Amino acid sequence: MRSNQKKAWLFLAPTIIFVTFFSIYPILRAFVMSFQSGPLINLNWTGFSNYQYIFSDPEFWRAIRNTILYALISVPVALAISIMLAWFIFSKVKHKSFFETTFFMPYVTSTIAIGIVFRYIFNGEYGMLNFLLRALHLPAPNWIDDPSMSLTTIIIFGVWTSLAFNIVILMGALRNIDPNYYTIADMYGATGTERFWRITMPQLVPTIAFLLTMNIIAAFKIYTSVYALFNGQAGVGNSATTAVFYIYNKFQIVGTPGVAMAATVILFLIIMFVTFLQRKMMKKIGGR
Amino acid sequence: MKFSKKLAMAAVAALALVGTAACSNGGSNSSSSSSEKIPSKITKKTTVVFWNAMPGVQGSTLKQLTNEFEKKNPKINVKLENQGDYNDLQAKINSTLQSPNNLPTITQAYPGWLWNAAQNKMLVNMTPYINNKNVGWGSAKASGIRTELLDGAKIKGTQYGIPFNKSIETLTYNADMFKKYGIKKVPTTMDELKQVSETIYKKSNHKVVGAGFDSLSNYYTLGLKNEGVNFSDKVNFSGAASKKVINYYADGIKKGYFRVAGSEHYLSGPFANEKVAMFIGTSAGEGFVKQGVGNKFTYDVAPRPGKYTMQQGTDIYMFNHATADQKAAAFKYIKFLVSKSSQLKWANATGYIPVNESVVTSNEYKNNKSTKLPAKLEDSMKHLYSVPVSKNSNAAYQQLNSIMQNILSAAQKGQNVNSQINAGKQKFDAAWKQ
Repeated sequence: MRSNQKKAWLFLAPTIIFVTFFSIYPILRAFVMSFQSGPLINLNWTGFSNYQYIFSDPEFWRAIRNTILYALISVPVALAISIMLAWFIFSKVKHKSFFETTFFMPYVTSTIAIGIVFRYIFNGEYGMLNFLLRALHLPAPNWIDDPSMSLTTIIIFGVWTSLAFNIVILMGALRNIDPNYYTIADMYGATGTERFWRITMPQLVPTIAFLLTMNIIAAFKIYTSVYALFNGQAGVGNSATTAVFYIYNKFQIVGTPGVAMAATVILFLIIMFVTFLQRKMMKKIGGR
Repeated sequence: MKFSKKLAMAAVAALALVGTAACSNGGSNSSSSSSEKIPSKITKKTTVVFWNAMPGVQGSTLKQLTNEFEKKNPKINVKLENQGDYNDLQAKINSTLQSPNNLPTITQAYPGWLWNAAQNKMLVNMTPYINNKNVGWGSAKASGIRTELLDGAKIKGTQYGIPFNKSIETLTYNADMFKKYGIKKVPTTMDELKQVSETIYKKSNHKVVGAGFDSLSNYYTLGLKNEGVNFSDKVNFSGAASKKVINYYADGIKKGYFRVAGSEHYLSGPFANEKVAMFIGTSAGEGFVKQGVGNKFTYDVAPRPGKYTMQQGTDIYMFNHATADQKAAAFKYIKFLVSKSSQLKWANATGYIPVNESVVTSNEYKNNKSTKLPAKLEDSMKHLYSVPVSKNSNAAYQQLNSIMQNILSAAQKGQNVNSQINAGKQKFDAAWKQ
């Protein structure tokens, strides 16, 4: 094997220093702190008690359950809708760039601003959504103030916000598919469905794999949209609390950084495990 | 390949060491300086940094008062640093405690936030300053500050804080609606509150809800206090007294005559839109009520029903790392802020209650016609209560809000609240034990 060039280290140095200092060191520190208790100014070793605490804390389980449900529902749904919309724009719509820009708009708008607007749309008493639902004689639930609806509301909001990024990336991927494939398919008389499933989808697999990984990781770290939608709270009665909410609350508000870091380590492990599973799965699909 | 791995490992280790060293630097000079001599005069230019969380009118009034102080004391420069809202301020203090040199000279805070700081001797005991004749008043009594408020600013019996922007819970009601539905007497007990709420709800054909409480944590804590139980880790959440307090509200919600603020956090909005006839909330919110109500109807303020009311709002605390001059200058500033003339201006402009007893009883304050609180304040604060400061009491108090929300939403859907009470007990106990 050829040895690396020494000069490469020089060029890599800034990144290596940055990554070690701002990514690897915090992870190690979090791991160490998860075995300590007390306030930041006076940490002392406690062994596994932080882990014991979070495992017996119902609030922690609720946070993990909400986060996993959110990730498992919102990501596939958003991805499916994105593929549909992207394919529709790509194959059927005339002024593509206009629609592409429109769909990208939510991505450049701040989540907090969108969240505030959605808070009014979702309002149970005077919200636009319930106005429409009532007009259609459908049940109009209290989206924001009913604890059992919180997660649904967050998922709807999450699906909507992630469409923008997904569609733009998918449009790029669709453009990169060699048009000759379709020409030849047409020559042999392939139907639209066949063209989609035999040509488009297989060509999109790498992009979908990328989006799936990014979306799942982002979904596990959900915080801002909950904050914005429920006015700075994790939903009525903490019903929409998420892992990151739990961590922030324990670290900054309650002042038990050890507990927060124990939760961080668990979340880190969950994300790592899910990403690992995903890569395995994608390899199987991609490398038939 | 192997070499590069080793190098990377070494780099990680080295950086980790540098990191820990940098972090442990700050903590070393937190030596206690309670025996420090208090300078009688500020002769050098001294800067006092004051972290606060005062928005809008409250912030601009604080700025005015500070300018006035600086004019009187040209050697002292007070830097006001706004940190956002209370949660932001609390988070900022929490994370800065590990590098004390970056802490301000003084900060607004609830005593519960600083329990750990007090444990680690990072706060200044104010008693020597209060008793000092030059920078203080000579004695706590001479300060004119109400005793309950001073006691509320103690952590484990030590006077670490001086009360500053304090508010209490009061009952705000729609006086026109009272007339319309023939209600002659403003409720003074919880039973009367229930009766009046029921009457309004019935007579308005279920259009107007009787009453609601802004802060569910306060509702529960005061409810227990009125039952003779103090807020502590001994509270049995599923016990008889606790259930009585919870069911009072839950029954009202089931039958429709009570409601909660929900994600809007405050009932002043529904109150201004005449969807609720009365609500119990902080006196510092009167500005918002006044603005929302406008000329639509007449509102008025009354003492909170039940014996006790909550005193809330922050005090001013001083950190130990400052120089002797800074501390003395900061105390002079605090003394100025709680003086009669400053408190009169402050209370009139913001709706906070004057911490200075002589202002509460003064005609200048009572005759303030622009808001409703001043005339009623003396009666409203006969029995004050505040959340006792102990380990995790603040966390448990905040947890109560979400527990109560869950219970009351179950009630709203007509479900039995007992399973939620049991779930709440688990969470409540977990909050005390972290």
